[in-house]
Amino acid sequence: MSTHQNANFKMGEREMILITGFFAIIAILTYMFPSLAETNSAGQIDWITMPLVGFPIIASGVLMAFASMASRRRKHNIEVPIKLASLFFSLFMLAITTSLFFGILESINWDFSIFNSYELEFSYAWNTTLGVNWHVGMDALSFSMVWLTTLLLPIVMITTWEEKAGWYHHPLILMMGGALIGVFVSLDLFMFYVFWELTLIPMFFLILKWGGSERRYAAQKFFIYTFTASVIMLLGIITLYFLNDGSFDITELTRSSQAASDRGDVWLGAKMQNALFLMFLLGFLVKLPAVPFHTWLPDAHVQAPTSGSMLLAGVMLKMGGYGLFRFCVSMFPDALVNFQWLLLTIGLVSLVYGSLVCLGQNNLKKMVAYSSVSHMGVITLGIATMEPLGFTAAIFMMFAHGIISPMLFAVCGSFKHHYHTLEIGAMRGLARHSPFLGVFMMFSWMASLGLPLLAGFVAEIAVLIAFWKAFGWWVLLPGLTLVITAAYYLWSMQKTIFEGGLEGELPESLQGESPVDISRWEGSGMMIMALLIVLFGILPWIVFDMMSGYSLAVFTGILGFGGV
Amino acid sequence: MMSAIDYALLIPILPIVAFPVILFIGQMFNGMPSWRNAWKEGGTIAVVVLGVVLGLSLSLISGYIGAVSGWDASNASGEVSAHSATEANDDAVSANVGEYDSWINFHITDGDNLISESFGFGIYLDHASVMLLFVASFLCLMIGIFSLGYMNTDEINLDRNHRFYAEFLLFSAGMFGMVLADDFLWLFIFWEIMGLCSYLLIGFYYDKPSAAYAAKKAFLTTRVGDVFLFIGLLMMWNLFNSLEFATVWSDAAIAQVVADGNQGQLHLALGMMFIGAVGKSAQFPLHVWLPDAMEGPTPVSALIHAATMVNAGLYLVVRMIPFFANDQLAGDLSTLALTIAWIGGFTAVFAALIAFVQKDIKKVLAYSTMSQLAYIFTGLGAAAWLLNNGHTTAGLFAFGASLFHLFNHAMAKGMLFMASGSVIHEMHHAHHKINHSHGDHDDGHHEEDHFDAQDMTNMGGLAGKMPITATAMAVGSMSIIGIPLIGGFWSKEGIIASTWKAALTDGGFLLIGPALLLLIGAGMTGFYMSRMWFMTFAGKAKTPVADEVVEETPFIPIPLVILTFMTLGAIILASMHFIGWASEGFGHFSLDIVSGLVHELKHAFLPGGDDSVSSILFLVTMLTIFLSMILGPFTAMALYGGRLDAYKAKPWLQWLINLSHKVNRRSHFDNTAWAESSLAEALDKRLYIDDFYDNICEKWIVVPFANICAWFDRRVIDGAVKGIEYGSQETSTYIRSLTTGSARDYIMMAVLGIFAIFLLIWGVA
Repeated sequence: MSTHQNANFKMGEREMILITGFFAIIAILTYMFPSLAETNSAGQIDWITMPLVGFPIIASGVLMAFASMASRRRKHNIEVPIKLASLFFSLFMLAITTSLFFGILESINWDFSIFNSYELEFSYAWNTTLGVNWHVGMDALSFSMVWLTTLLLPIVMITTWEEKAGWYHHPLILMMGGALIGVFVSLDLFMFYVFWELTLIPMFFLILKWGGSERRYAAQKFFIYTFTASVIMLLGIITLYFLNDGSFDITELTRSSQAASDRGDVWLGAKMQNALFLMFLLGFLVKLPAVPFHTWLPDAHVQAPTSGSMLLAGVMLKMGGYGLFRFCVSMFPDALVNFQWLLLTIGLVSLVYGSLVCLGQNNLKKMVAYSSVSHMGVITLGIATMEPLGFTAAIFMMFAHGIISPMLFAVCGSFKHHYHTLEIGAMRGLARHSPFLGVFMMFSWMASLGLPLLAGFVAEIAVLIAFWKAFGWWVLLPGLTLVITAAYYLWSMQKTIFEGGLEGELPESLQGESPVDISRWEGSGMMIMALLIVLFGILPWIVFDMMSGYSLAVFTGILGFGGV
Repeated sequence: MMSAIDYALLIPILPIVAFPVILFIGQMFNGMPSWRNAWKEGGTIAVVVLGVVLGLSLSLISGYIGAVSGWDASNASGEVSAHSATEANDDAVSANVGEYDSWINFHITDGDNLISESFGFGIYLDHASVMLLFVASFLCLMIGIFSLGYMNTDEINLDRNHRFYAEFLLFSAGMFGMVLADDFLWLFIFWEIMGLCSYLLIGFYYDKPSAAYAAKKAFLTTRVGDVFLFIGLLMMWNLFNSLEFATVWSDAAIAQVVADGNQGQLHLALGMMFIGAVGKSAQFPLHVWLPDAMEGPTPVSALIHAATMVNAGLYLVVRMIPFFANDQLAGDLSTLALTIAWIGGFTAVFAALIAFVQKDIKKVLAYSTMSQLAYIFTGLGAAAWLLNNGHTTAGLFAFGASLFHLFNHAMAKGMLFMASGSVIHEMHHAHHKINHSHGDHDDGHHEEDHFDAQDMTNMGGLAGKMPITATAMAVGSMSIIGIPLIGGFWSKEGIIASTWKAALTDGGFLLIGPALLLLIGAGMTGFYMSRMWFMTFAGKAKTPVADEVVEETPFIPIPLVILTFMTLGAIILASMHFIGWASEGFGHFSLDIVSGLVHELKHAFLPGGDDSVSSILFLVTMLTIFLSMILGPFTAMALYGGRLDAYKAKPWLQWLINLSHKVNRRSHFDNTAWAESSLAEALDKRLYIDDFYDNICEKWIVVPFANICAWFDRRVIDGAVKGIEYGSQETSTYIRSLTTGSARDYIMMAVLGIFAIFLLIWGVA
């Protein structure tokens, strides 16, 4: 496939100049950035606003505008440069976040957190009459999500390198990345909501343009469902705004909530806090998704293209988990205590019921989608334990699932791409036809069922220790889930990778074509993900310590526990 | 000075690193002649790595022994001291490998306080782990060499052997890691890694549906046990805030548990962990996976499903023994000890019964493995009970005997499986040869499907044609049966005598059941092992294929010969007080072999000393020897014995064959009625337990319930969403239909609207 396109690839002179110019501008901006950038009172350079949020969104806009100006004939000529530019940008973002993590750009110790204080925080007045400010910041929670996003962007681009109409596809992924990071770094409710909704738009188009046969329905359902929930959250945001003298500032709101707790009061009154908690909770549970608000997910996933699925499962679902921590946990601690039972119930139901539904599926991608529902139950459960370890487990699960589930969907995508079907049991002997796909499938399946020394296992032990501490024998239900999870994964492998005799058995949908293995692009993407899964499985402390520090800070902050 | 323990981490790491290397090199060079011949498709790398690992293990072990015995003072650093394996803290070399001290750090509430905890990785050596490390590394190398002959000369494996060797090495890494781990969490982690490799290797012939099914079954069945083990670990962590052996076994930690009145919790935690052991070691009721696991290549059966991985469950119980031995918990853990003994006793007889009717040579060995592991479980259960009830000396003896049986069984069963592999392999070759000489087929594949090279009813009379294999098989069988002075005899007598002794002590009457079952089982072992040997090696060849068999494959005899001597050498180990050494510590080790032998003989044949129960124990011992040595084998001879037709066996086997021939001719034993009975049918169907489980999963409960859930999700939950969608569409269509476009309608509506507003205002006013 790639050779075919490369053969046709002829770059016109005009494109050449434009692309070179584009890269030159980027290079100059990058070079000059530190001197142009704003610094905050701590003397830190603003690495968030432009590099992580502004650039990707603007750049993707420019790239797409550029692509749309090209004539139909020339589109193929600019495809590779545009894809390369997008990849370059995502790698640039990854370089920034990684160096931030290792303390190269700023000396930050992410392992040590203070509640409601941000390691990297910048604020610029914007619309003072409304009280809207451009206020961004990162603490260990948002940083781990931002890092995950930047890790994933290049991987998604590499894996889906050969997606058709790459001149729109890759910039859209880039835009998606910018919007997602915007959600994670916003410390202003207004901006938070803007980015929250902004993420829907690229995803909507990804599904609509590159999706399967039912994509129109799936895209609409996805959009309307999550949008409806967000509107309820918006109501909560507006209420909060008016109750607090017109402030959208998350740090300020959290501070006043904490001040109320310190005085022994319930912030905003018990009823109001409960109501706000529920409004926000609904928005996040739909996004997460938790049973019974999960049915948009399988539809969206099955119809979405590989890139859409990878981003959806990898990062978009984590917006829900992130929101739970940032608002439901940090701002409404009293309501959280009141509704612990609700979180427990929803978590357990998502976990157990989700896994049972998986067992009843015969579509590979649907099964994987429901497994996400089941795994996201772990996040709700981790919060419901009200233990620092439970919080850490939930955040680590977000991170681990953020690398594992894209790999699951990449495998499903390749399967669909090469065999034109997703039905489990339609073909046998994948190990013979496409050995590499088979290996990656088995690896990711095993990672998802929580094999030790792979990333998912760490989250599993952590959440179960906290769970046993908090709820005792209820642990049998998650235990049961572990078995069911193994059952559906093993069953699906038995019916696809294994069996089929020496010649294998090919699906009818292939219509006599001979099967092919994954392409180099797909293989490299999956390989990177596999290495990351092993890395964070064997050396979990790389991110675990940071999350543990954050959880401790939140826990002591909201429940007023003494320090360690 | 660097001591051996500094290299210990290399023991699991070397094979784990070699795993991807072999996989990738194999994928790159697949099919190249030199890769196939000189590199044996990765086999050479694997054997070299395993050889290095064996060297490291031996140096580690000798360093350990030197350190604890004081022979080698240079190794005796501050952290080394020697005591019994049933006590905590001061009994072992424990080394936390610095950087890995905090694998994950976390915070958790403890009552009203927040505490900071961590999991780390370290290495822990005591007698049990040293012994198992030797067993694992030695057998891994032996079976690695065996695989060079077995795997690489079979065409069906061509170009996929690198996968075999890579997974083989990953497995061995898991085993070494599990043995060396210094806490229960890492034990569990490596335990799961082994489970994964077991899954991969059972499914090695992935194209065979039966192999795919067996792999899934093995993983899922053990997974059920693993979940309980995991929950047990959670409970234990909750009690001790740690899973490190040294911490949880310490008197202080247990004193805290006792002070909090949490003995019941601990009991339950250990019980949950034991369920995990039951799954891994294939004991009833989680035994169903092991016979099916024989779908894997024979080296896999030898290594994973006979000699090493299935011992993991036993090792876990061994690691639980210090709780039983702690006198602060005296009497609190009796129920669990009894449960262990009962499950062991039941499985011993149950598996032996099924082994009676198996025709597949590997299946016989699989059930034999289950049965022998059950012996060890019973021994450990008895030891646990004795230790928990204050009978320390007897308990330690039972414990040592169990460990010794673990050793003997691993050696013998590994060898038996390799010998069976040799038989199967040569049968296969002979079958090929016949097909080609007849020349009626171009491809042998079609014919092969009808011929089962593992079926013992196709064999017979192989003793003359495969002398090395037949000898190894005979010695191995004798060791498993417990023929006096050979291999397993020393340990098996110890287990049976200890169980009886425990049953006859005050309060131990509940152990009489397992004790009786073990006694019966001894006779049954004598029968089914002999049956296997005579069916395979004695009598006339039952098929033309068996006539053509020649022992010719390279590499296969090497491990067989080595292990034959190893098994026979158990007598030396026994006279060096292995039993006392394994349980009580190094001080009991003796190099005075002659007096040691006398002592052991006295111990074995005249157990009990001046105890009042000694006469019963003496009777039991004699009865055991009679059952296992006389009744079982002679019945088998009567049924399956016979003279060879053309060849002569080696002199050390010929007498056995002649004897079987005589017995067979004299007796007119007819078992057709029995063989056609419904009991035999039921045994052949494994007492319907497998079918029952399958039905529960696929027909009755799990899958139907999952389908209901999927239906519920599609129709009810998503149905509600769709209903809202549909409803809103309907409404909008209806509202749209009001937009008629006719001016009259609009004026009408406007008037109605104004009227309504007036009414409203009037009403409010």
